Amino acid sequence: MGTTTNNRGLAGQAGVDDVASGGGGHSPIEQFALQTLMPLKVFGIDATITNSSAFMMGTVGLICAFLYMASKNANVVPGRLQSTAEMIYEFVAGTVRDNLDDGHEGKKFLPFVFSLFAFVLVANFLGMIPGFFTVTSHIVVTAALALLVISTVLLYGFAKHGFGFLKLFVPSGVPVWLMPLLIPIEVISFISRPVSLSVRLFANMLAGHIALKIFAGFVGTLLAAGAWSVLSPLPLALTTALTALELLVAFLQAYVFAVLTCVYLSDAVHGAH
Amino acid sequence: MSTDDPNGRRSADTLSAEQREALAKRAADIGAKIETAKTRHATPHGNGRQGDAMARGLKISAELIGGVVVGGGMGWLLDKWLGTFPLLFIVFFLLGSAAGMLNIIRQAKRETTPPAPSVTDDADRDNGDDDK
Repeated sequence: MGTTTNNRGLAGQAGVDDVASGGGGHSPIEQFALQTLMPLKVFGIDATITNSSAFMMGTVGLICAFLYMASKNANVVPGRLQSTAEMIYEFVAGTVRDNLDDGHEGKKFLPFVFSLFAFVLVANFLGMIPGFFTVTSHIVVTAALALLVISTVLLYGFAKHGFGFLKLFVPSGVPVWLMPLLIPIEVISFISRPVSLSVRLFANMLAGHIALKIFAGFVGTLLAAGAWSVLSPLPLALTTALTALELLVAFLQAYVFAVLTCVYLSDAVHGAH
Repeated sequence: MSTDDPNGRRSADTLSAEQREALAKRAADIGAKIETAKTRHATPHGNGRQGDAMARGLKISAELIGGVVVGGGMGWLLDKWLGTFPLLFIVFFLLGSAAGMLNIIRQAKRETTPPAPSVTDDADRDNGDDDK
């Protein structure tokens, strides 16, 4: 898994069929398989450590270690690590200011948005390393993050506005006879938020990694296909370009996740308009 | 009537022609600097215009799918519960599609309103909040 070239050697024509039909031992979706690393039971709850949960812990550990190192010797004139950390902070703070609230309430949610952004970003980037597992390519992970966001929106919204928060579902300036139609639409629109939030992240990461794997597989297949091996630099170039694109997507998905978190939270903060 | 005085400057508050020119030049320089600062704030997030446009595309594409899937799913579950198979599924599928379109329109509206400057002033605070 993860190695970019299939070394199926001189399999010749058989290799072409293999890749076309999903590639034998090198299936493009094999990289997403969960593997149990350490069976574990805590108070009767199955807390088995899989490669996925190991990479999640690694992601969190990496973020914590980076931020600790960056802020250990904090100076007025920042060093390299410190200015990188400050750049990320400024970036997220700017996103929160623009999309949530530029006053006190925005600051309250900054740690939450920063944690989400950092987790998704580092998980996406870790997944770009060949052979590494991409945590965010599983919908169960992204859906958990999206549910965390939407339950924060609901809890904070009801805590702050009480039942007035439900006015969110009643569009203003609309004739009364349209309400039976518009309220269900608004409710569905609200429920679709966590769905689109999680599906967007998971689908982009999944599709990107499958595409990378398939095109990388073509390199090996073409190399093994006699005279056709002349063409093998083509998929190699495409794989290189796709890797660059995927790095951009990895960042953009984290950014989009953070922006939408802010947009949804701003409904809870500001209530219905 | 000419303010030009044969003895050069007459008092502290009249300016010679070249002083005027220098002041005008300084004002223009400051204006240009402010303009560049403004355009820099217009694309605030490091990745430039192209990345920003891509982020918008990625954001909007999933909205329609979300609406349709949630609408269809709700209708299907309600049908299963009430035993009225195609009816509620069709109704909620249509409602879901409408919700998806509504999501997209809202997103697009939010995107096309000019981004708030990172440092707000009083004028922005007055009208920055009414886009939803």
